[in-house]
Amino acid sequence: MGKSPPYGRVNLPLWVCFLGCVAFFSGCIPHSERTVDALLLESFADPTGFVRPEQVHFKERQLERLTGDRPNLGSTDAAVWIRVSGWQGAPRNARVVLDNPTLDSVDAFILDGTRVLGTVESGAAHGRSSDLIPSFALPLNEAHELWFRVRSSKPILLPFSLTQVDRVEKMRDLRDLAAAVYSGMVLAILIYNMFLAFSTGQRTYFSYIFVVLTVGLVQWSFNGYDRLIWGQYSWMAVNGLVLMGALSGLAALVFARHFLEVRRHTPRWNRLIQVLLGVYGAALISAFVGQPRLAYNLVNLGALSAPAILVLSAVSWRKGNTSALWFLVAWTIFLIAVTMQALRDFGVVASTQMTAAFMPIGTVLEMLLLSFALGDRINVLKRSSDQANAKALAASLENERIVKEQNAELEARVRLRTEDLAKANRGLTNALDDLKGAQDQLIQNEKLASLGQMTAGIAHELNNPINYVQSNATSLRRDLEELIEIVNAHSLALEALSEGSPGAMEMVTSAREKARSLDLGFLIEESRQLIQGILDGADRTAHIVGGLRVFGRMDGDKLVAASLAELLEASITVLGNRARNRARIAVELEEGVPDLWCQSGKLSQVFMNIIVNAVQATESRWPEMEDRVVEVALTGVKDDDGKCEALQVVVRDNGTGMDELTRQRIFDPFYTTKDVGKGTGLGLSIVKGILDDHNAQVVVESETDAGTSFTLTFPLNADASAESEAA
Amino acid sequence: MAEDIIRVLYLDDEEPNLFSFKAAFRRQFEIHTCVEPHQAVRLLDEHEFHVVLSDQRMPRISGVEFFELIMPDHPDVSRVLVTGYADTDAVVDAINKGQVYRFVSKPWNEEELRNVIEAGYQLNRSRVRNAAQGSEVLAMLEGLASDVTGLVGRLAEGGPDAAADVESALRDLKEKVLQERQRYASWMDKTAQ
Repeated sequence: MGKSPPYGRVNLPLWVCFLGCVAFFSGCIPHSERTVDALLLESFADPTGFVRPEQVHFKERQLERLTGDRPNLGSTDAAVWIRVSGWQGAPRNARVVLDNPTLDSVDAFILDGTRVLGTVESGAAHGRSSDLIPSFALPLNEAHELWFRVRSSKPILLPFSLTQVDRVEKMRDLRDLAAAVYSGMVLAILIYNMFLAFSTGQRTYFSYIFVVLTVGLVQWSFNGYDRLIWGQYSWMAVNGLVLMGALSGLAALVFARHFLEVRRHTPRWNRLIQVLLGVYGAALISAFVGQPRLAYNLVNLGALSAPAILVLSAVSWRKGNTSALWFLVAWTIFLIAVTMQALRDFGVVASTQMTAAFMPIGTVLEMLLLSFALGDRINVLKRSSDQANAKALAASLENERIVKEQNAELEARVRLRTEDLAKANRGLTNALDDLKGAQDQLIQNEKLASLGQMTAGIAHELNNPINYVQSNATSLRRDLEELIEIVNAHSLALEALSEGSPGAMEMVTSAREKARSLDLGFLIEESRQLIQGILDGADRTAHIVGGLRVFGRMDGDKLVAASLAELLEASITVLGNRARNRARIAVELEEGVPDLWCQSGKLSQVFMNIIVNAVQATESRWPEMEDRVVEVALTGVKDDDGKCEALQVVVRDNGTGMDELTRQRIFDPFYTTKDVGKGTGLGLSIVKGILDDHNAQVVVESETDAGTSFTLTFPLNADASAESEAA
Repeated sequence: MAEDIIRVLYLDDEEPNLFSFKAAFRRQFEIHTCVEPHQAVRLLDEHEFHVVLSDQRMPRISGVEFFELIMPDHPDVSRVLVTGYADTDAVVDAINKGQVYRFVSKPWNEEELRNVIEAGYQLNRSRVRNAAQGSEVLAMLEGLASDVTGLVGRLAEGGPDAAADVESALRDLKEKVLQERQRYASWMDKTAQ
């Protein structure tokens, strides 16, 4: 990461400040100022609290010697009486100092036997700042006794000393200064972290601020400075330390719970923290219900949270919570400080100003380290957040890239697909063109085939009459020669007879013989028949040729005005023996119907096709020709005014007929009922095309084994013909 | 064996053609004509014809089909197809199915048709002769076989004259075989021509 963590940088001046302070403390905090070591302390406990100063004289037997620099009588409800001696011979400006500001009440008595010569009241309960280091003037008379009565809910720690008064002042000043420095540092940390807390809005920071505040206050309380705040309330003066201790414990636990994310990382430890929180809570309640000693002990019990948090932070660290290391170090230092304090209190460690500084230094260090820990944690969070952001960014970039790639790929695929489709389309178009071409070719072939058939029919039809005309002519010539021979013979014989020349009779006989042998009668008859044949043949030839003329150009698209009657007759004629002699063809043509503008050649193709089909249908049904009937009729369709508006051609046969399915499909291209190779299935399809060109209606009625009828209706209206002409 | 007159049958669905044909060829040939195929079949059964002509395009039956029909009973008669228009199918069928001898188109050339009829007659004659010759040779071979059987029987009979009889009979037989061989050779020569 390019950015350096902001909190770490800000921490640097804090470090500098702290190190400076440590140096200051080392140099300035006074060393042991015990000028008189010979103070002799003897004490007895007054469990009832009713012993009056006048009575202590009688308790001398119960006195027990207290040893050590800092005698510790522990926590007790009893009032403790202490007789301080050994001060005799001290300078006048010496003072007896009880350097323990936490004691609730410290009453000094100067006694002369049972007489009370002087009383000085001091202690936390009085809430006086001058009691921060309670000091007492020595009795003037060295024979008098100096007694102290101490009552406290806190442990009764009695670091008595004999100190010169100016020393006491100096100590007090120094301690004030130390407290001020300490307070300043705590305040600095507090303010700094408050700033952070509000700027980051992190819950952990607020709990941390609470920790700093309470720990600072605890330290104040330890040194009695809390009475500066709430000294006028004696209850607070007495219970401040406990309250602050409990609150700091609560704050520390809450902070630890937040900081170490106990519920997330080490959920099983949460129960312990709850227990400890309960302990502190109980301490608070105890304090409020007037059980200060119980409260104090509970707070002490709650001090178990320090090692607990230590272990917890170690565990959390081991589980991968890197910020926990700072936490661990901070709590270690704090624990060391607390331990040192405890050791000092129990006299294990010499009670000097140096050792007394352990606790504040420790707490400040702890605060600082926790602050760093927080900074680190924030950084870690930020880093992980940044990482997460970066990851999210990278992921979104990656996503974007993938999406772009996919888009590109998709586009490519779409393009490819489009090209394929275009290609396929082109292929299909080509195939369609090919198919159309093939179909056109087939239709053309079919046309040519029908043209060929027609040509064959026409050729046959023409060649027969031509044949017998020609043949008859040859025969007639031969007959004629023979007839001429007979005639000549007879004329010669006649001439001879008329001349009366001899042998005329023989000639006559010979001529008769010739006529007999050549069969004159037969010759004459044959000649007549031959001539008749020639005439018939010529007639038929003329008829056929006339029919052909009616057709017009076979494949022409030219529109001509043609008589449908002539076209029908011509068609039948041209069909020749494809129709004639195969079925009885009954033709009934209405006279006087108008001509039709049409493509005559194509229409004759239509008629021939339908008629041939009809003939074939009858042939398939009837074995004898006489039974086969094909009717061809032409009628004019009149409108209401009696004007002819359409021409109707009906071709009806009594053939095999068709079923419904076949009837519906007869005009489909390539549909055929004939055997493979016998029919292309294009004939009627072409017929339909031609009829459509003429705007003609086709109605086909058919019944299996009854017959079929084709009814073609040609409209006569001029528009349609004009349209056709235009096309 | 040889007959003087050539008998011809003409089948056509158009009577003017029949009349014309008869008028043209009645002087050389004996002409029979008919319109209906079944009449033609009856005529073939009743008389021996040398040549049969048929039109190809007829209403109920084509010329080729007609020839196909009469083939089994009258294999020797020469078949000539007459047609006004010959498409390829008809020609192919005429040769393969009807075993048509000749193909004549209308209008016919009289001289050409006459030659066709005469050639058809020759073919018919040669077919008939061949058949007769074959049966003759067969009969002769059967005669020889029975002669040999007789000889074997004579030998088995035995007797003093047996050897002499067989010897003379064998001589006769040899003479006979030689005669037949000569006759066969001359026939072969004649056929080859």
